[in-house]
Amino acid sequence: MPDPSTDLIQGTLEMLVLKTLALEPMHGYGIALRIEQISDGAFRVNPGSLLPALSRMERAGHVQGKWRASENNRRAKFYRLTPEGRKALKAETAHWGRQIAAIHRILEA
Amino acid sequence: MGILRSIRSGLRALGDKSSRNREIDDELQSFLDESIAEKTRRGMSPEAALRSARAEIGSAASVRQKVWHAGWESTADTLARDLVYTGRRLRRSPGLVLVVVLSIGLGIAANATVFSIVSKFLLSGIPVGDPSTLITLYRTYERGQCCNELPFPVYRDLREQAKSFSSVAAYEDILPASLSGPIEPERIWGQAASENYFDVAQVRMAAGRGFAASEHRAPVIVLGYGLWKQRFGGDPAIVGKSINVSGHPYMVVGITPRGFHGLDQILDPQFWIPLGKMSEISLLPTSEEARNNQWIRVAARLKPGITQTRAAQELDVIAQRLIKAHPDTDKDDGFHIEPVNSVPPSFKKPLYLFLTALSGVALLVLLIACANVANLLFAHGSERQREMAVRIALGATRVQLLRQLLIESLLLSLSGGILGVLLSLWATFALSSFRLPGPTMMDLAVHVDGHVLLYAFLLSLFAGLLCGFAPAWAASRPLMPNALKGEEALARPGHRFSLRSLLVVVQITFSVVLLSGTVLFLRSLSSAANIDVGFHSRGLVMMSINPQLHRYTPERSVQLLRTARQSIASLPGVLSASTTDSVPLSMGGRSDGLEVPGRPKPKASDSVDLYMAGPNYLSTLGIPLLAGRDFGEENAGGPIVAVVNQEFVHKFFQDASPLGHIVKGPHVTYQIVGVVKDIRSRTLGENQRPILYRSLDRTLASDASFDGYTLMARYEGDSTALIAAMQHEIHALDPSLAIFNIQTMEDHMRDALFLPRLVGMLFTVFGTSGLLLSVIGLSSVMSYAVSRRTREIGVRMAMGARASQVQALFLRGGMRLALISVALGVPLALAAARLTTSLLYGIQPWDPVTFILVPALLVLVSLLACWLPSRRASHVDPIAALRMD
Repeated sequence: MPDPSTDLIQGTLEMLVLKTLALEPMHGYGIALRIEQISDGAFRVNPGSLLPALSRMERAGHVQGKWRASENNRRAKFYRLTPEGRKALKAETAHWGRQIAAIHRILEA
Repeated sequence: MGILRSIRSGLRALGDKSSRNREIDDELQSFLDESIAEKTRRGMSPEAALRSARAEIGSAASVRQKVWHAGWESTADTLARDLVYTGRRLRRSPGLVLVVVLSIGLGIAANATVFSIVSKFLLSGIPVGDPSTLITLYRTYERGQCCNELPFPVYRDLREQAKSFSSVAAYEDILPASLSGPIEPERIWGQAASENYFDVAQVRMAAGRGFAASEHRAPVIVLGYGLWKQRFGGDPAIVGKSINVSGHPYMVVGITPRGFHGLDQILDPQFWIPLGKMSEISLLPTSEEARNNQWIRVAARLKPGITQTRAAQELDVIAQRLIKAHPDTDKDDGFHIEPVNSVPPSFKKPLYLFLTALSGVALLVLLIACANVANLLFAHGSERQREMAVRIALGATRVQLLRQLLIESLLLSLSGGILGVLLSLWATFALSSFRLPGPTMMDLAVHVDGHVLLYAFLLSLFAGLLCGFAPAWAASRPLMPNALKGEEALARPGHRFSLRSLLVVVQITFSVVLLSGTVLFLRSLSSAANIDVGFHSRGLVMMSINPQLHRYTPERSVQLLRTARQSIASLPGVLSASTTDSVPLSMGGRSDGLEVPGRPKPKASDSVDLYMAGPNYLSTLGIPLLAGRDFGEENAGGPIVAVVNQEFVHKFFQDASPLGHIVKGPHVTYQIVGVVKDIRSRTLGENQRPILYRSLDRTLASDASFDGYTLMARYEGDSTALIAAMQHEIHALDPSLAIFNIQTMEDHMRDALFLPRLVGMLFTVFGTSGLLLSVIGLSSVMSYAVSRRTREIGVRMAMGARASQVQALFLRGGMRLALISVALGVPLALAAARLTTSLLYGIQPWDPVTFILVPALLVLVSLLACWLPSRRASHVDPIAALRMD
């Protein structure tokens, strides 16, 4: 799929996942779907990048995964944001905001 | 927290790989299921939804791989797998492993051993409080000339005036004493220190305490850890008990901690007494108050926040003030600061030079070893071109191959490092057995300590990378089409002078340098051992006593020495016996400025070496008499008789006969009764020194010897039995006497050959290793060339080449390398030899024997190293060779 819109800037995926999980616990596909929907299909997240990211974040203690039944009554691993993850989201959002502002200023100049 | 969790879950994943994989699969499956459910909900047919979802997700295996790689455990896992694989593969080539580990082991051993000396002198610490604020002081003279000890009044001035120090202590650094008691009496060396010494140094005692402020003149003693362990069995109950020191009772108040050896390097004092008690133990008349008598050492603790530079500035100001106050004695004198536990300034330069040179040579050995290993790994790698090509074809990346090859060479080099450390354990043990001739309270033992281990580890790592990287790089890049066919990429026709040949040339060149050094130093050792010292060094046993450490008055000492000499002279097998204060070739000795009334002063120095001599001194030692007479029982009245050597006659009498003339010293007058041939006085390599032998009986009282008196016996027969008999005779006179420096003159001569023996031994080891390594290198390159060109040899032979022609072809190739290396190595070796001139005895740095012998030897050995592989080449069966593959 050589679709440039599916490429995410390195490191932003984890922030988007954190943001998505801030609303409610979700399973992997749910996260991918939500990101795709909210971005109006601009970002498509495939499991090849989502699952490693979730594994990394679980290691870092930002999310916590638990197997339970999904709304379709299938077993799925649901991820929940931890307090640490909430902190990380805040920090990354602030960082991202500064970067965007800086890029913006450069482009405006 | 996060790291801990990561390690925990990583370990869990590693421990149960299949369950981790199952979980990933499950999650992927649930992802797929949800995706299909969503798509069907939107109206796709189940088949279309499945297809589309599969397409989106891609290969399950690749996702699993990616998730697996997100954690650290995957790296650890591959590393472990690589290690196991490497180990298995290395087991298949034990020859390679043996040679590589041995090569690196030799190289590391050389470096670790040299570094153990560096570590001892430059890196070792002593158990004192904050060494960075503890300094020792020296007195400089003639505007900054280094260094003297301090006069006692200057120490007092410093205590009163210096504001940079919170406290200042003083100590006499070398003080002999005798210990008698329940076991064998013993002569020991120690120090006398001001009562605040242990407080300034902040020494945490192993038992007991240091001196109390009130104990300036108290009979108390602090024992060194070693003496306490060895003589008192490490019994803490000794604290508080009284022991007999040089015939006086002293109460043990403390034991210094292990590793404390005073505040200076090299010295190894075993006890400390208060400075105020020194006059009771010491034999030397100390004019404590004279401002021009430099005898005391000073240590000081810097105040918090004061740097050494600030302290040095203040000391300069104080020095100026002292010069103004005492212009006669303190003119042009200053202070010099040394950090605590430093090597005495006068030793520093030669020691550093020696260590730098040694390190250079050791690195050379390692370099040769690395070249060897790189060479072998190149050969090994090119034999595996096909394997590498197959693995690349099967999907391994080059980085993976490179990593694995580097792991292999690191594994090899670390094993080599372990071997090297083991070898250097032995080498440091051998080095520690070297003794300096003469009175010593020095500790020259070297050990493999933590610094050495770290150094050896880093060096093996470095060596592994150094000699592993290029071969690994080359091996991980096979020329695919050729390599898959079993042809070798490195063997490019037309490249006659490959990298491997270059490595061999480097190796042999350095070996020429090392081997030249070896031969040069061994020849120097043999010529040093054959130097005519001027006396008969065979058939002489010696032992020393110091009656004055046992409360003997000078008169009684003379009496004791006379009786002991007479009873020894009457022992069976003894030809003659005599007494002296110190034996020649003890690296130093006593001297005085002398003058002959009515004769011009000698041009350069008027300093003359002095030896005390009892009756029959000259005949016992075997110094040929040229004129006059030997010493006899000199009568107590009249002039003090003396015998002088040729150099003395030359210097003071311009070769006229000195018999009957008077020689004046600072406090004594001698009358010359004999002239003897020259002998080597202090060291083997010295320029001839003027010597005056003087009657022991007449001079002992006025000029007591620091290191006691030596009884010498010239004998026929068994020295061991004689030594026991002599000890028995001495103890029959006084069982409390400590007997020390028991040795034959041959032993003493061996100690006197300390430097040439040490250098000779080191170079023998280094040179032999270098030669061995080069031979291995050359012969491995040659056998590799043979195996590489087997097919070519087959073709040649099929075309009619004779076996001898094939052999000659390979011999020529190998010998060309050897000759080039020798041609490069000889000038290098000559240049390096020039630097060692001062270490050579009796031969020139361009010693023709060395520089003919070494190249010849190398050419011969190279011929042998090429011969075997070339013979193999000539035995190639053309039919078999052409049918290969």
